[in-house]
Amino acid sequence: MPALSVLLVRTALCWLAAGVAMGALLLSAKASPLPAGVFRLFHFHSEAVLVGWMVQLTMGVAWWILPKYSRLPERGPAAPVWAAWLLLNAGVLLAGAGRSVGASDGLVMTGRAAELLAAVAFASAAWPRVKAFGE
Amino acid sequence: MPPITRWFVRSALVWLLLTLATGILLASGVAVRLPGTEVVVPYPTYLHLLTVGWLTNLIFGVAFWMFPRHTADHLRGSEMLGWTSYAGLNVGLLLRLIGEPALLAGAGGRTLLLLSAGLQLLGGWAFVLNIWPRVKAK
Repeated sequence: MPALSVLLVRTALCWLAAGVAMGALLLSAKASPLPAGVFRLFHFHSEAVLVGWMVQLTMGVAWWILPKYSRLPERGPAAPVWAAWLLLNAGVLLAGAGRSVGASDGLVMTGRAAELLAAVAFASAAWPRVKAFGE
Repeated sequence: MPPITRWFVRSALVWLLLTLATGILLASGVAVRLPGTEVVVPYPTYLHLLTVGWLTNLIFGVAFWMFPRHTADHLRGSEMLGWTSYAGLNVGLLLRLIGEPALLAGAGGRTLLLLSAGLQLLGGWAFVLNIWPRVKAK
């Protein structure tokens, strides 16, 4: 597994650990007298598990297993994927945590825009590698 | 394919069928009731059947199978943590499937939901602990 995939997958695992902890708190709050403020974690929980965990995991695994080039660098330029990692995680923090703490709509939209840019950056790196093996 | 993966993937397929069947009933406006009760399956439960039951089970199972080997002696890490993640995730989800509708119907369910939360947390963290050392560069 390339180092960049290790980074993406391990970051995804961190979001999974955080996301299920928030999910467990949210579910417990439905059944016990936990502070009502716990329900504000809903947005952060959703963003963490759907984007931080699932989207990031698939990016990491795709970067690892998509067909490689016969020339170096065999997985293509890494810079767009580094950018995707940075933008995606900043996006999860801004959109997820921002919404949960009642930040402005502008901040949440900035987070979502960062996630979109992350997808564009990743797609630009992955697109040419979506090909038959040996091509 | 190791036995744990088979359990994860087959369970994922069962949850997928259950999710889609529930979705059809919900979309057609037909209440999804537990037998003999007025208990209705709510939307959050349906959503978690898909994301936890189908997606997460499939991801966990395939990752346990395909990720780089841990060591020559323990190819896929700890079997115990693997089964803990499987049981936590699936028993936890099953308890939610029963407990959340029951709570909404005023028919108890609090203990089931607390257990469900704890088990799913255990399942998720057991997976992270087990797979972490296998996420490594060559």
